[in-house]
Formats: sequence, structure tokens, C-alpha cells
Amino acid sequence: MARIIGGIGTSHVPTIGVAYDKGRQEDPVWAPLFEGYKPVARWLAEKQPDVLLFFYNDHATTLFFDLYPTFALGVGARFPVADEGAGLRGLPDIRGDVDFQAHIGEALVNEEFDLAFFQNKPIDHGIASPLPLLWPHEPDWPGTVVPIAINVLQYPLPTARRCYRLGQAVRRAVESYPEDLSVVVVGTGGLSHQIHGERTGFNNTEWDLEFLELLRDDPERLTRLSHADYVRLGGAESVEQIMWLAMRGALGPQLDEVHRNYYLMTTTAMTVVTYEERVAGDLAAPMREQEVA
Amino acid sequence: MFTQNPQTLGMPEGTYVFDLRTCNRRLAFNRFFWNMIRPEAREAFWQDEEAAMASAGLDDEEKALVRARDWLGIVQSGVNFFVLEKWARVVRKTNLEVYAIMRGESLEEFMQTRAVPHAR
Ligand SMILES: [Fe+2]
Repeated sequence: MARIIGGIGTSHVPTIGVAYDKGRQEDPVWAPLFEGYKPVARWLAEKQPDVLLFFYNDHATTLFFDLYPTFALGVGARFPVADEGAGLRGLPDIRGDVDFQAHIGEALVNEEFDLAFFQNKPIDHGIASPLPLLWPHEPDWPGTVVPIAINVLQYPLPTARRCYRLGQAVRRAVESYPEDLSVVVVGTGGLSHQIHGERTGFNNTEWDLEFLELLRDDPERLTRLSHADYVRLGGAESVEQIMWLAMRGALGPQLDEVHRNYYLMTTTAMTVVTYEERVAGDLAAPMREQEVA
Repeated sequence: MFTQNPQTLGMPEGTYVFDLRTCNRRLAFNRFFWNMIRPEAREAFWQDEEAAMASAGLDDEEKALVRARDWLGIVQSGVNFFVLEKWARVVRKTNLEVYAIMRGESLEEFMQTRAVPHAR
């Protein structure tokens, strides 16, 4: 049986991809970000998941507003990384396992999550920004990806609660797959930022840290917030944190946060967090690594 | 008849909700910026801005906003920032520069408000 072995929440700021491609990993301005991903990359190298299942959003790149799905699952053995206006990035195509993707799609639709499906389309920075910081890509990625795109751009967006429930359904979908695949669920986006209008540049570190506490220990409370609540607390584009709730929904009730990095450099509170599930009866594991830059 | 989506009730000032009504009003304008993910569209824009805008079916108000590089005005008119940033690449503006303009600040002024002011 396939099973979920942990979760990751990560920002997907496009300039992370630009800095990565330009080799700015050692640049003092960027080092606190790139250093913060190394423990996550090590954790993945150690756990060796077969699959990263992403809850992410397309930034009106692959999907345009003339037909913009609320939830869409990508099916394909290869997804090119998108040109978003500045040309191609030189990353290998993202790999996929069509049988597993199709199974997740069937299981979700049969549970009344009526997804759209996309095939043969590129994937933008919603996944491609953090992916090379998580997984090596030379000569190729070590595993496959299940991309689940969530509309966080064009209102009406799915509610926070709906995203959480989607995550819960994804867990059941994963666990109903007969092959022994190990899966890490990833939610991308956030944390606080606003990048349009006069309120551009809004951040709220206090809220970001509270969000992380609630996400780990009391996610139900986060499902009761409206989109306007997220926008007020974390800035307009931070509403995409509902994708972290989808990731959280796919994880068990008790979590250990085994790594956190929080780096607010300019406009987005760039954050990466790794979660492991606490097995019943275990004592809380001490937080192994935490850096707040 | 206008009805209010309860999820967007109480949005803060300086924030523009991009919803179905907005998008419906400005679909062609949004598509014009979205097209910039294609090298041919970028090339066409660099060759002849006016022709590119005309063939995209922009109205006079939209054309004026593009000519003026009025980033905030474009957002206020109903363009989603994520298609707009594709065009920012085409006219060689970084996101930080666009953010500063939307706040009515110079890049230097804006960076002074940031945690790492010398970051680029
Ligand atoms: Fe995003």
C-alpha cells in the first residue's frame, strides 16, 4: 500500500528560481534562504520518497482565466517547466507516474471532489521554484510528482475548509493504492506577502508564526477563516496558504515539526517547514533544527 | 444584481479583488499580458507595441495604461498581477521595481522599508 511519510510547506517565490539559476546560493543576501533548504533536502535524501504530491497553484501560466479550474490534477510522465516571460530555465522535465496520478484522480472524483485534469502542459513556479531546492535534478529527478493545482487567483476561491478536506481525501486516495509507494505531501505558497495595489509590501511575522503553530496543532481553527481574514492578516497573495491547509489535511492529527526556516528578505516571508507524523504513544520529539533568520 | 461573496467581505484598502466580474470585464486585457509567455508575442510587442495592442483588441483606456506604464492603474482596472508580471519581464522591470511604483515610491525608498534593504 502507498503511504504518506511526511509533509513539507514551502514558499514558491519566483525569484528563488532566478537566484538558483544564477548560482546565488552563497550570496550573503540569499544564503539564509538556500541554507534553510539544505536540511529539508537531506531529510528527503534520507527518506527517499518515491513521490512528491504537490498542492500548488498555477499563476495564470499554463491555465488562463478563460477556463480556470478550482482544482486540477496533472496526468503525465513528463511536465516541462514553464516559460513565464523570461525564457526557459534549463531544468529537466518534471517526472510523473501516470498510474498513480490516475488513481488519485479516480479516488478523488469518486469521493465527490470533481477535479479538472490537465495533460501535456508545463508547470510554473508554483512547483518549479522550490523543487530544485528539495530534490537534485542531475542527471534527472529522483522521483515523480503528482501536481494538484488549486485556484488561489480568481475569486471565488475554494474555501480554507474545502482545501483541508481535499487533503484528507488525498490521504485516503494514497492509502488505497496497492503499490508500496512512499509519498511526501507538499503545500506551496506564502507566507505573508502582498504584491499588488497600494498595500504592496505588507508583511506580518507575528501572524506567520501563529499560522505555523495553528497549522501544526490546531488546523481546524484555520479552516474557519475566510479569504478576507487571510488577506487582512497576511496580505492579499498570502491567501494561497490555503494550499498548506490541503497538505495539512493529508497528514495525521499529531505532528512533529522537524525543521523550520523563516526568512523575510524583501516582500515575501520565505518559509520552509518539514513535518513528520507522531505515532500514537510516542513522546513529542524535540524540534531538531530551527532557524529563524 | 450585485451580490457579495461572503468570503471577500472586509477586504483591506489598497487591495483589488480579482473575481469573475472583474475578469469578465477585462478578459482581453488580461490575455494581452498572459500572451507574453510566448516568445512570438514578446517579439511582436518589441517590434510594434501599437500593433500588438490593436491586434489584442485593447480599448483606448487600456492602450493608454500600457503606453503610460501605469502599473497601479493597470491593476486597478482589473488585471491580475500574475499575468502583469509576465509583461514586466518583457519591458525589463523587476518585480521589486514594480512593487515600488505601485506604492508610489522610488526603488531606493521602497527597499529602505524592507528587512534586507540591499537585497536584489
Ligand atoms: Fe503564488
